[in-house]
Amino acid sequence: MDLEQTVVAAETLLKPFAVGAPSREVSRIDVVIRRADLPAAVKALVDARWGYLAAITGLDHPWPKPKPVTKPAEPPAEPVGPVEDRLEALYQFVNGALVATLRVSVTYHDARVPSICSIIPSATLYERELHEMFGIIVEGTPDTGRLLLPDDWPDHTYPLRKSFKGLTSAV
Amino acid sequence: MDTQQEPRKTFVVPIGPQHPALKEPGHFEITVDGEIVTAATVRLGYVHRGIEKGVEQQNWTQAMYMLERICGICSHVHATAYALGVEALAGVQAPPRAQAIRVLVAELERVHSHLLWLGVAAHEGGFDTLFMYSWRDREMIMDVLEGLTGNRVNYSCNVLGGVKFDVDDTQADAIRRAVDFLEPRTHHYLKVVTTDETLIGRTRNVGKMTSLEAETLGTVGPTARASGVPRDIRVDAPYAAYPDFPVKTITATAGDLEAKFVVRIQELFESYRVIREILDKLPAGDLAVRVKPRVPPGETVSRVEAPRGELFYFLKSAGGPNPDRVKVRTPSLCNWGSVLATAPGHKLADVPMLIAGIDPCFSCNDRLVTVRRRSTAETWTWARLRQYGIEYYR
Repeated sequence: MDLEQTVVAAETLLKPFAVGAPSREVSRIDVVIRRADLPAAVKALVDARWGYLAAITGLDHPWPKPKPVTKPAEPPAEPVGPVEDRLEALYQFVNGALVATLRVSVTYHDARVPSICSIIPSATLYERELHEMFGIIVEGTPDTGRLLLPDDWPDHTYPLRKSFKGLTSAV
Repeated sequence: MDTQQEPRKTFVVPIGPQHPALKEPGHFEITVDGEIVTAATVRLGYVHRGIEKGVEQQNWTQAMYMLERICGICSHVHATAYALGVEALAGVQAPPRAQAIRVLVAELERVHSHLLWLGVAAHEGGFDTLFMYSWRDREMIMDVLEGLTGNRVNYSCNVLGGVKFDVDDTQADAIRRAVDFLEPRTHHYLKVVTTDETLIGRTRNVGKMTSLEAETLGTVGPTARASGVPRDIRVDAPYAAYPDFPVKTITATAGDLEAKFVVRIQELFESYRVIREILDKLPAGDLAVRVKPRVPPGETVSRVEAPRGELFYFLKSAGGPNPDRVKVRTPSLCNWGSVLATAPGHKLADVPMLIAGIDPCFSCNDRLVTVRRRSTAETWTWARLRQYGIEYYR
């Protein structure tokens, strides 16, 4: 299968879930999807045996300026608006030279994504990393134990968020 | 005596965690029922150094030196993946001579890494003669790399936009001599691992993984290729000078530990061929192009084939002097899953070989192992577990 056919196959599979037009580069296709559609979109790729899951990348988009990490337990102070701190999870599938990325965006105070471990069991390590580093709760993931951070790492402290500047001496 | 009525008791054998040379030291908890492994779990991150976070505070050039230190064995592929990604974001391309030198160093690194693995895997199986021979031969490559780059480990060959040094005729001859010496040795090792009764007893039909399992577990590199899954970034998405110097994907079908030996050793021949070809046809020209200190905003994915499999970099620039996000997914992370999935059903004595089979950057064999036996705890060193495995098969 050449690159163009691979792209077309990915576009066809992901079209039902895409929000807006996919962005495209030579060897990359990015599809923004809704959170609820994530398992279905992943299943579509897996069922068609389109490539494999190479990585789950977290991104932090604080708005407008980094502010202290809010604890998920705290109720949101403001109603949900279009401008607020967001986190993004990128599910990167590769097939030959092409990387297809499913992009799921969530807000800080509703940082949850569904687990895809029932479809791709090996995603468990990536999901645990996503949770530890960005505080995105992966609902239904089989193992939520610490994977990378130390056992005595404080709760609700997510090192790859932009607001994290190091642990204070009190911790 | 109604011991038959008692519920079966299982023991948990924790292996690890200390293993300070790499990004992914593993702590494995192996549940055993008597001699047979029934479950295995992993805990990583004991020397997680926060490099992904760290590079966000460095400028684009400094970040490369930090990323190169993720792994001491395959440092060059990290710098290459990063440099290629930054060059893609900046819209520049390293000159052909630089790309060829990158591939040359990458293949030399693969040779040293595979020979290192061969020694470690043989050592875990109690075959120390092979270990010492393969590590002696590996020194040839280490000397060549030192002569070429000035360093045995972190070669620091890349700069953003190219490479730092040229390869002159004297160095080229030294590399050719090393490869000429290693090729017949490698043929000998291939014969040893496929004919030596004691080694075959530890490797044949051990840790078998079908191609479907290898695919669904998301394995990469030689671990996947030994199960017949032809995943090789050098072939699937050629980068640097691989379009000009193509390599052949080496696969095997058996999927056991023996196949992993065979695949890695056969890849050495492919590396020797590419190294010779590059030295013969090294393109003329500059070594580097200029990359501006500020990289235009954008995102890119950069993938290279490390000795252990696909190395995946995601880079994001916000247009500033430092990277906005660098995500690194190393090949060992993908391959841990295959150990956990294949271990159940095997003997405890096979576990050191199963773990060594994915080549998880072993450098420290002194890891502490604690055997919890009901209320009494017993402490084993990694050396003792290894010895146990050897004695078991004696």
